[in-house]
Amino acid sequence: MTDTPHKMSARGVNVFYGNKQAVKDVSIDIDMDKVTAFIGPSGCGKSTFLRTLNRMNDTISSARVTGDITLDGEDIYSSAMDVVQLRARVGMVFQKPNPFPKSIYENVAYGPRIHGLAPSRAELDAIVERSLRRAGLWEEVKDRLQDSGTALSGGQQQRLCIARAIAVDPEVILMDEPASALDPIATAKIEELIHELRGRYAIAIVTHNMQQAARVSQRTAFFHLGTLVEYGDTDQIFTTPHEERTKDYITGRYG
Amino acid sequence: MNAFALLFLVAGLGLIGWLTARARANRFDRGGARRLHSLPGQHGMYVAMWTVLPALLFVAVWSAVSPGLVKEAVLQHPAAAQLPQFDFERDALLAEARRVANEDGAAAFDPVAQQLAAPTRDAQARYRWMGTAAAILLAFAGAAFALTRVRASFKARSRVERGTMLLLLVASLIAILTTLGIFLSLLWESLRFFQQVPITDFLFGTHWSPQVIDAGDPGKSLGAVPLFWGTFFIGAIIAMIVAIPFGLMSAIYLTQYAAPSVRKWMKPILEMLAGVPTVVYGYFAALTVAPAVRDLAVSLGYTYASSESALAAGLVMGVMIIPFVSSMADDSIAAVPTAMRDGSLAMGATTSETISRVLIPAALPGVVAGVLLAVSRAIGETMIVVMAASGAANITLNPFESATTVTKQIVDLLTGESEFDSPKTLAAFALGLTLFVITLLLNIVALRVVKKYREAYE
Amino acid sequence: MSKSLLPQLPTGPAEPTERAPTDWTTVAMQKRIRRRYARERRFRFFGLAAVTLSAAFLAFLLITMVANGWRGFTRTDVALPIDFPASGIVVERAQLATRGADLALAGAGLENMVKSAAATAFGPGGEEVLSEHAWLRVRDAIKADPSILDRKITIDLPASTEIDQALGGKGTAAAEAAAAKLQQAGVLSRRFNADFLHESDSTDPVAVGIWGALKGSLLTMAVTFLIAFPVGVLSAIYLEEYAPKNRWTDLIEVSINNLAAVPSIIFGLLGLAVFLGSWSLFGYQFGPLLPRSAALVGGLTLALMIMPVIVIASRNAIKAVPPSIRDAALGIGASPIQVVFHHVLPLAMPGILTGTIIGMARALGETAPLLLIGMRAFIVTPPGGFTDPATVLPVQIFLWSDEVSRGFIEKTSAAIIVLLVFLLAMNGLAIYLRNKFETRW
Repeated sequence: MTDTPHKMSARGVNVFYGNKQAVKDVSIDIDMDKVTAFIGPSGCGKSTFLRTLNRMNDTISSARVTGDITLDGEDIYSSAMDVVQLRARVGMVFQKPNPFPKSIYENVAYGPRIHGLAPSRAELDAIVERSLRRAGLWEEVKDRLQDSGTALSGGQQQRLCIARAIAVDPEVILMDEPASALDPIATAKIEELIHELRGRYAIAIVTHNMQQAARVSQRTAFFHLGTLVEYGDTDQIFTTPHEERTKDYITGRYG
Repeated sequence: MNAFALLFLVAGLGLIGWLTARARANRFDRGGARRLHSLPGQHGMYVAMWTVLPALLFVAVWSAVSPGLVKEAVLQHPAAAQLPQFDFERDALLAEARRVANEDGAAAFDPVAQQLAAPTRDAQARYRWMGTAAAILLAFAGAAFALTRVRASFKARSRVERGTMLLLLVASLIAILTTLGIFLSLLWESLRFFQQVPITDFLFGTHWSPQVIDAGDPGKSLGAVPLFWGTFFIGAIIAMIVAIPFGLMSAIYLTQYAAPSVRKWMKPILEMLAGVPTVVYGYFAALTVAPAVRDLAVSLGYTYASSESALAAGLVMGVMIIPFVSSMADDSIAAVPTAMRDGSLAMGATTSETISRVLIPAALPGVVAGVLLAVSRAIGETMIVVMAASGAANITLNPFESATTVTKQIVDLLTGESEFDSPKTLAAFALGLTLFVITLLLNIVALRVVKKYREAYE
Repeated sequence: MSKSLLPQLPTGPAEPTERAPTDWTTVAMQKRIRRRYARERRFRFFGLAAVTLSAAFLAFLLITMVANGWRGFTRTDVALPIDFPASGIVVERAQLATRGADLALAGAGLENMVKSAAATAFGPGGEEVLSEHAWLRVRDAIKADPSILDRKITIDLPASTEIDQALGGKGTAAAEAAAAKLQQAGVLSRRFNADFLHESDSTDPVAVGIWGALKGSLLTMAVTFLIAFPVGVLSAIYLEEYAPKNRWTDLIEVSINNLAAVPSIIFGLLGLAVFLGSWSLFGYQFGPLLPRSAALVGGLTLALMIMPVIVIASRNAIKAVPPSIRDAALGIGASPIQVVFHHVLPLAMPGILTGTIIGMARALGETAPLLLIGMRAFIVTPPGGFTDPATVLPVQIFLWSDEVSRGFIEKTSAAIIVLLVFLLAMNGLAIYLRNKFETRW
């Protein structure tokens, strides 16, 4: 542990679906100026764990979470935490691009509207432009902001979703395999974008692509069968893993 | 003040509350917080809700309660002493007084009612005034209470959303209340009927002639077996003889043989048969089909053929039911895995062999469920039998003779001018209860079969 | 797959060890194959016949209605010469401009004057040629132009039902003879009967109109829509989006599915017992609060009837909105209520509206429950509001179909045509909405 306080910390987190335990006793920190990657084979609990960080598991009635997760030292599962405000502070980008079937402008403006971030139209316009610029999409769509968001290409849609998440001014952005449904060129753009966003936001990314984890992240957590096997600096994990299982996975022995 | 004016006033107060709260929330000191829990509009909604809902709830309760209060007040009037003690007559006179009080230029036949008109009017005005004042007071009180709570840290959004959720829950409870209401109202009136007529007479008696009811033994002429038979004969036998082959063969042809373009056009056309109002079928049956059936019967040698034969009503009902059978059959045939069909065809079976030996047996549960639903629909059908079937209750197997049904008798019993409490009127509710229970059972069985069948192929 | 649902395959005798290869070319085999093909053709023919006959029945029904009904939109007029100065009718001119004009003209004996004019023109019994209400048309003509009182005019007046029917070939022998005579005299003409669209019920078939019933239907539908649509959609939202899965919600679900299959007449009994009957709460009766045969009561009853239809259609439409949209909105901090009202509901709306229109079409064609709650009164003035006595189009059709006078047959069919046109328009709108807004995710 370093001296600077972590943006988010999870301590002893367990997630149950009914009687089945999907995540077992996981402790991880997410820091402001770092990208943290969660890797591991399918069904290892990495996405489930990611979704506990902004309480998206609340939407599944059988899901139950124990353990402590804090954001700036506040327990996010305490009754004092408003889940809506939490999700505004901890944004999320999903595996498949899911723009609303509305115009590009409305997609980005929706979040600031419901959170009351833009008292005037001009400010809203400014937020939309800034978010689209940060997502690297502005140049491509500035002339057709009124076109439907669903008419964009897959890669553009995913960047639109990132712009939408940025627009509510979050502190943490969670990305659940954001490039897995995209072609290699679109994937490269998303990775480039993650690089640029680092420092402004704390980022956690789930990926099944180890090269991607190595390229974009500074910290890596390896999950297997619901447990956190190894967690450390990305360089260390990919060069000198402590655990045999990590090594096997990274070298492609299984996965 | 009439009800609409009151509603508008309350709505107006709500709007003012909304605007006030929103304006106040707009001036909140953000106190350095990055964002507040609730938006100004949400604070507005909170205040509007508190202004409008309690007042509306009160108006609803008051409009149910105040007629009773008016009645009590009128009964206190000296002239009310002359009213007859018997509830039914007394209520009739009070209703007359109410009519005189509320209509310009109306005059009462009964002098007591005429005397009570003025007190009725006064009492009505008094209670209406009280209700209005209380509703407006409540609106103000609600608004004031809510406005005091509006401050930067107040979680208006959560409150408004909890209110909305409650509204949704109440809306979904109406379905249960309707079912319960149907069941209880039928049961209640039926129980009153069975106090006067033994249930065994009703369920097992074979003589039905409600026009002449022996006051000493009403059960003697209220035996419903001929109605049950007539309903079954017309709805479940004659109609199904038409509907099952036509519906099933249509579904088979449209799913297995027809070109997509034919299917695209013919399916909606067949469904139009289900969209034609039943009163139109009834008129058609009475005007065109029934005379034709009678002529046919006469040419076959039945000299006394009825022009209200069971056959005419059953035939037309069968045609109406075709789309029900065909769409259920269509669905269940489509649910049979293609692999089964391909397997049969690959062995060299012809299409018809595949259909009759593989597809139909596999889809049978779905088809049977469809037929059950169609029967339930047919026996509940009213207008065709009201217009084309006879009122004479016969137990007959001859389709050219007349037969009557439960629904036809319900309409006949309730459209005459008779008192609400007579066994004749109440018998309609007992028939309704029987019909409700039977259609419910058919429906439950059918839905269960369909569900089992779907699970089998998923 | 459960075993019982599968067709049982025949299990033949055990395979003999040696078997000659099948010779498909033998006469017996060829015959057998031909027989199988014949059976195939027969089967296919039966299918085609079933479809064709069903469609033919629909066509026959529609053609019968149109053939019977088109005459209902027309009427026979008789050109009647009236010599006002000679008739001896005296009316104060000043009164004709006032609201008392109708009374003044009736008091002046206009009705008898018209009858005697007819007797003069067409011989003894000539007044039988005209409809009973013909003089009202003369009255309106005078009110429109009082100067005709000073001269002799020829005015087209509606013929009586007997003459009208005789022209259609359905009258008595005497009436047909009279009609033939009038035709020779060249005083008869047929024209579109606009009155049919803006008059109400009457005892005289030539004077009836459907506006009263149509207005009653519109008022009733308005009540039905205002109750059933919000309640239906809100409960669909609750059940699909928020309801926990437990015994209570199962009970609601079962209730709704079964309500959709309850015969419509049962809803009439419910309406009768609850809205009009002797039910009471805490000793206070509701019954007499609502007038019998009012659009309000009819609308409430039909609302309960079509609510399950709307709930089921809405649930299906809501279910079709992909979960990823909900995730997206939740992920940027929309509350569950905002997710539904900002995203799910607008996307489901075309489907909800389609289901609602189909439900409303069903309510518009419904007769039986309304008969029971007493919407079968003889209504000569269109209802002015939700609590006025009213009737609806299907009930009007039913009432006319019961009339003895032959003139009502074509009026009934004409009313049916109007009803079918409305239903066709509603269903057409539903299909249009479905095709226009159908989204594939």
